[in-house]
Amino acid sequence: MNRYVQGDPLLCIGCRTCTIACVVAHEGKRIYEIDPDGYDFHPRLKVIKTFNVSVPVQCKHCENPACKAVCQSQAIYVQDGTVLVDREKCIGCKSCADACPFGAIRMVPLGFETNPDGTRRSVAHKCDLCFGLEGGPACKRVCPTEALRLVESEDLAEMLALKRGNVLLTASAPEINRVN
Amino acid sequence: MTIKEVQTTCAYCGAGCQILFKVDQEQNKILEAVPAPGRTNDGTLCLKGHYGWDYINDPQILTKRLKNPLIRRGGKGAPLEEVSWDEAISYTARRLTEIKEKHGPDSIMCTGSARGPGNEANYVMQKFARAAIGTNNVDHCARI
Amino acid sequence: MSNGVHEIEDSKLLFVFGYNGADSHPIVARRIVRAKRKGAQIICVDPRRIETARIADLHLQLKNGSNLALVNSIAHVIIEEGLCDDKFIEEHSSGFDEFKELCKKYSPEAVKDITQIHPDDIRKAARMYATSGQSMILYGMGVCQFAQAVNVVKGLANLAIMTGNFGRWAVGIGPVRGQNNVQGACDMGALPNSYPGYQNVTVPEIRAKFEKAWGVPLSDKVGIPLTQVPHYVLHESEAKKIRAYYVFGEDPAQSDPDLAEVRESLEKLELVILQDIYMNRTGIYADVILPSTGWNEHDGVFSCCDRGFQRIRKVVNPPADANVLTDWEIISRISTAMGYPMKYDNTEEIWNEVIDLCPSFTGATYEKLEKYVNIQWPCRSKGMEDKGTSFLHKDGKFANPDGKAKFSSIDWQPPTELENDEFPLIFSTNREVGHYSVRTMSGNCRLLRNLEDEPGWIQMNPELCEELGVKHGELVKVISKRGHCVTRCLPTDRVKKQAVYMTYQWWIGACNELTIASLDPISNTPEYKYCACRVEKIEDQAWAESYVLKEYENIRRSMGIELEKGRKAI
Repeated sequence: MNRYVQGDPLLCIGCRTCTIACVVAHEGKRIYEIDPDGYDFHPRLKVIKTFNVSVPVQCKHCENPACKAVCQSQAIYVQDGTVLVDREKCIGCKSCADACPFGAIRMVPLGFETNPDGTRRSVAHKCDLCFGLEGGPACKRVCPTEALRLVESEDLAEMLALKRGNVLLTASAPEINRVN
Repeated sequence: MTIKEVQTTCAYCGAGCQILFKVDQEQNKILEAVPAPGRTNDGTLCLKGHYGWDYINDPQILTKRLKNPLIRRGGKGAPLEEVSWDEAISYTARRLTEIKEKHGPDSIMCTGSARGPGNEANYVMQKFARAAIGTNNVDHCARI
Repeated sequence: MSNGVHEIEDSKLLFVFGYNGADSHPIVARRIVRAKRKGAQIICVDPRRIETARIADLHLQLKNGSNLALVNSIAHVIIEEGLCDDKFIEEHSSGFDEFKELCKKYSPEAVKDITQIHPDDIRKAARMYATSGQSMILYGMGVCQFAQAVNVVKGLANLAIMTGNFGRWAVGIGPVRGQNNVQGACDMGALPNSYPGYQNVTVPEIRAKFEKAWGVPLSDKVGIPLTQVPHYVLHESEAKKIRAYYVFGEDPAQSDPDLAEVRESLEKLELVILQDIYMNRTGIYADVILPSTGWNEHDGVFSCCDRGFQRIRKVVNPPADANVLTDWEIISRISTAMGYPMKYDNTEEIWNEVIDLCPSFTGATYEKLEKYVNIQWPCRSKGMEDKGTSFLHKDGKFANPDGKAKFSSIDWQPPTELENDEFPLIFSTNREVGHYSVRTMSGNCRLLRNLEDEPGWIQMNPELCEELGVKHGELVKVISKRGHCVTRCLPTDRVKKQAVYMTYQWWIGACNELTIASLDPISNTPEYKYCACRVEKIEDQAWAESYVLKEYENIRRSMGIELEKGRKAI
């Protein structure tokens, strides 16, 4: 099973420490050494806030990714259980952003590269689970309330078991609750 | 590169989180901020604790670091000029003394600071207001 | 705070009143989340659907400015339903009979229109708070930044006293102090009425102690609070006027209410001294600027919000080209030049002088701070076994002369400037999670600036946005009787239609152009949480965007940044 980072709205306080951590993980600590306008601030997750929910939204690393299916240029591929974008191959057609049911892909200008006509070249941009970086997803590591977790297949199994149990409890007589 | 680790208390809110700074000693530069186990923060930091230290390198985003004492030698309306510490101190002391002698100590107001300077600096400031100037006109931005 | 931050998660019920931990102290909010996880119930009182409200068992979305009406009504229910801790009241308090009398008129039905809360919810909150057995109140600026503020704090204390929620683990009341060292500045006597250690300047024996220690006669007259400086500069008689203002690590021209009046008073002053690390808006009016070392460049002690002393340490040296001194060294040198010599070699020497003058701090030596990291005062003995005090009022002992807690019987009073035809909306300030105070530090941090930047946002209910024809991200003009500013529209159903909210960190979207300098009579805290305003659509958005860019450039230029030179790698 592909792994993915899942946020828990009951634990998230919407502080967006994860958002910055994402940028630092991908841009590197050179950020602190260079011109303050000399790097891109393009987080790969987005903290959403509705009336009842605050939680970061990011790629679910689907098993049969819609983004990959619609990609005309084979820029989206799966490696080691992670859905990745090859920026060199990406033609910026936006089909993947359109196809993603979670709004987890957006288009961002790539570095300071330009198209032949002088406009900035935009590419598909999404969570890569901090692919190749030591320590795994940075968002999860910095979250002060442990609202983010990296879900592996055994975690999913555990989650499902818990949910099945809960359903059973609420559906049964209240006495069962008490016994447990 | 010699990396030194220094533990300190975060200056960004009343939670009082413990931060471990990793410092490149030769370059005199902070490399990163790491959460340290403190009573209140329990090994966690928020975004300001993690990413709120590079102001110290004067990146000139919003304002510029003050690097020399400045006074308006020509009085109000004149430009601020860079001066030596000796001149800045004696100028400030002279102006404060003049106002104190002419209008009394209660015509002078001093502030403490609830931000970076720390308790010792606040103690010295209120002692200065009370003992050197002779007024209890000292307060800080607690209410703000 | 009467109790420690680390105790929060052990409470059985958290009563979070006008305190948005998620934005002002994420690491304290973390404890609220953990408490919930451990099974605590949460009551959240806030006019907005803040993060705590989302996870609360009960959210009382009260009308702005109705705090004391609600607090007294909760007390009414506790009395009416016989949920008081009679033994605690009897043994450890005074003034209950008068308070009981006052509460009679605050039935949930009687305050329904003032608070906009259903009476059933007030009853429910009262029952939850009074019966959990271990209830803790946390409050913040939503209580303190009103003209009626201290009395609401007393009202909250009433609730804790009447239910016996004092003097134990994970109970009490916690004002979660905003800035990092507000507690410390108060501890050190940067207050017009008290010497270090909360020792009153008007008590002759205490004054004599400090006169002896400092070797000079001291004034017995309580000083002027900071927020009254504009008044003392502009409107007082010649004999009482403030002439000189020594501003240290603050920026009143950004942080204080009614900025137009603040600027006028800074212009009128004969002498303005600014001691800071960065140029700021007050610096424009300064006659003297004294550059000092920043956080991470000097040693010392901070006090965190729950009375915890902790060391700060010099992490790096100031930049080689910065001709700066530590704050205490600058002040000592001026003092010496004025004929009152002060000479210290390091912060430990100063600290030792402090703790020897303050009985509640005496035990908090550098040696112990090194060993234990955090010491909560009172810590009276220098022996290594005294590690400080996690919670106050143990065994029901209070700091009053009779050792008892005193009930306060005070009526609710409405805010100073109410909505009207010209200004139909309630205007309230709040905080930006990634920025700090006047932003001279966080505004110069690359990543925090990337996350949020000028001119900030105004939170508006989507229905209000629709009525005004403004959309997400559009620039709007916000106007009060005193001034105006430009900021971006943020539609959100987390706020009610009657009120709008701006974070106070921005220099272009400077909400203090609008705020009112109406002060609480005891604390002198301004009513940042309530004044009347209106929001106007700006038709020419292209013009507005270029106005914001130009303003930002002007600000940076006036702060000494040479834009023409461009930024260079550092």
